[in-house]
Amino acid sequence: MPNPYIPMLTKIKSIITENEVNDIKTFELEFINKEDYKKFNNIPGQFAELSIMGKGECPIGIASSPTEEGTIKFTIKKMGTVTSEFHNCETGDTIGIRGPLGNGWPIEGLKGKNIVVIGGGFAFSTLRSLILYVLDKKNRKDYGKITVIYGNRNSGEVLYRDVLEDWEKRDDIKVVLTIDREEEQWTKKVGFVAAVVKEVAPSSDNAVAVVCGPPIMIKTAQNELEKLNWKDEQILNSLEMRMKCGIGKCGRCNIGDKFVCIDGPVFSLAELKKLPKEH
Amino acid sequence: MEYKILMKNDIVKLFNDLTNDYKFYAPTKEKGNIVFKEISNPEEIELNYLNSKIPPKDVLFPQKETIFEYRYEGKDVIIEDRKDLDDKILIFGVRPCDAYSFKLLEDFFAFGKVQDEIFLKKRKNSTIIGIGCNSPRHSCFCTSVGGHPFQKDSMDLFLVDLGEKYLVEAISEKGKNIIQKLSWLLDAKNEDLQKSQELAKKSEESITTKFNFDLVTKILGDNFEHPVWQKISESCIGCSSCTFLCPTCTCFDVIDENDEYNHRGRRIRIWDTCQSCLYTLETSGHNPRPDKIQRCRNRIMHKFSYYPSNYNCLGCVGCGRCIIACPVNNELRIIIDEIIEIEKKEESEKVNA
Repeated sequence: MPNPYIPMLTKIKSIITENEVNDIKTFELEFINKEDYKKFNNIPGQFAELSIMGKGECPIGIASSPTEEGTIKFTIKKMGTVTSEFHNCETGDTIGIRGPLGNGWPIEGLKGKNIVVIGGGFAFSTLRSLILYVLDKKNRKDYGKITVIYGNRNSGEVLYRDVLEDWEKRDDIKVVLTIDREEEQWTKKVGFVAAVVKEVAPSSDNAVAVVCGPPIMIKTAQNELEKLNWKDEQILNSLEMRMKCGIGKCGRCNIGDKFVCIDGPVFSLAELKKLPKEH
Repeated sequence: MEYKILMKNDIVKLFNDLTNDYKFYAPTKEKGNIVFKEISNPEEIELNYLNSKIPPKDVLFPQKETIFEYRYEGKDVIIEDRKDLDDKILIFGVRPCDAYSFKLLEDFFAFGKVQDEIFLKKRKNSTIIGIGCNSPRHSCFCTSVGGHPFQKDSMDLFLVDLGEKYLVEAISEKGKNIIQKLSWLLDAKNEDLQKSQELAKKSEESITTKFNFDLVTKILGDNFEHPVWQKISESCIGCSSCTFLCPTCTCFDVIDENDEYNHRGRRIRIWDTCQSCLYTLETSGHNPRPDKIQRCRNRIMHKFSYYPSNYNCLGCVGCGRCIIACPVNNELRIIIDEIIEIEKKEESEKVNA
């Protein structure tokens, strides 16, 4: 086995600014060694350790679906040392990548099920990957009804407008967009995600809810689902924690005896309730 | 089983015969402490010691180590892997508890889908010459964690100090090969073996610090939220000595050391500790373990609850370094007593009810 800390090398192929305030960008990466792309072979919901040599490494959820062949994408918010450095990058810059890491969304277990995707803010990236995956021509027949509830603080924060427009045009997916406060020109829902979940009232029948977003949104949305008779086993979360190695060695992402990097990041609410409240 | 005798004044000869094949690490005296380091002069070897301050873990998992090097050529990056991982390493004079820690570290770094090849390669290429403990320290408790002051598992060659000489026993194939190479070793007599057994018995009896860790593990599993953690963490000053000196602690941080002017650098890992608030601090400002209650609890839970559930053994070798190192005497013996007390209280409440 090779040294697991050595990244594969990629070049930045394109950079898209995702929001009005310009602190969220999507980076499309291209492997320098084409064989590495075949090896990469991610499933939705996994993450990778991205690095800029000399600046450091950080874990980022994979925004692209394996069905988008030939490309991998990461949506990065300018937050700390490494992510800020990413925002200074240009196309052609070299990025190291280790992965895919983590368990990802249970795409096999979701087969035959209705899927309710509930997302808030910038945590939508691995949800983008999941939705694109299940909507793909080859996969669509394996999954039931798909409902997406996606909330943001304001219209300027809505990510992935191109794919959202595509989805809104389709009749095999229901997309409900909401923002926190009224805005001129905004014709869609207004209100917090939890309120919209209550209004849409997705049925728990043969369904799985995938919930990603800020902690308060996750909590309130889950409360609404519980009122709608959803069971803890039907609700999936993806956790974030400080990480370094991503392979269960550096220690810091443990919740009880589980490591978020190798046992997660995806946990059902039922699994999370068994773990200490230390995340 | 083959037993040999190594006269104490022949250690120089042993060193000279083996030093060409191995990087030779041994306990040495440095600033009043015992330190394992690579030596070039056998006179530096100090075998009259209880245990080293920093465990020999740092020979295979050093406080700071390069994981790879890189250099920039324009916007391109060239990465260079480590080239020294195939070097043969010999660690001389390791105590049984520390030898056992190598097994725990090996199991830990091999756990899961992705293995830590940096550690595992070094471990594979290392030979351990251990030495029994004739006089354990007051803080030693290896017999409570499945160990023994004369335990020879996880060693290749085992020495027993018989005064003027050492009894030498080959444990593994690697050890047998060394005995063959050191053909000048003397044959051991029955009385040597007998003396060794007497020493082992006497040594075991002298260990008075004893814990019932089965009970501790059971109590910990049910008491994550117990108020005892407040009490346990109260006097902790977060110095992290307990984790930095622990032979089974494996946590590390990863950073880049960049030589900007020469367009090159290296990614290194350095020991980190769950006792630091920065360890889990996220960029958003959120911290899952913001107070010392959670951090002290994490150390104890990790060693005595998470380790048993993940690896089916305790994450402790009973060396007692954390007991000696704690500057506020908030040491393991006191902490374990507090935890055992939880059950005792519950029992007495049941009786009273």
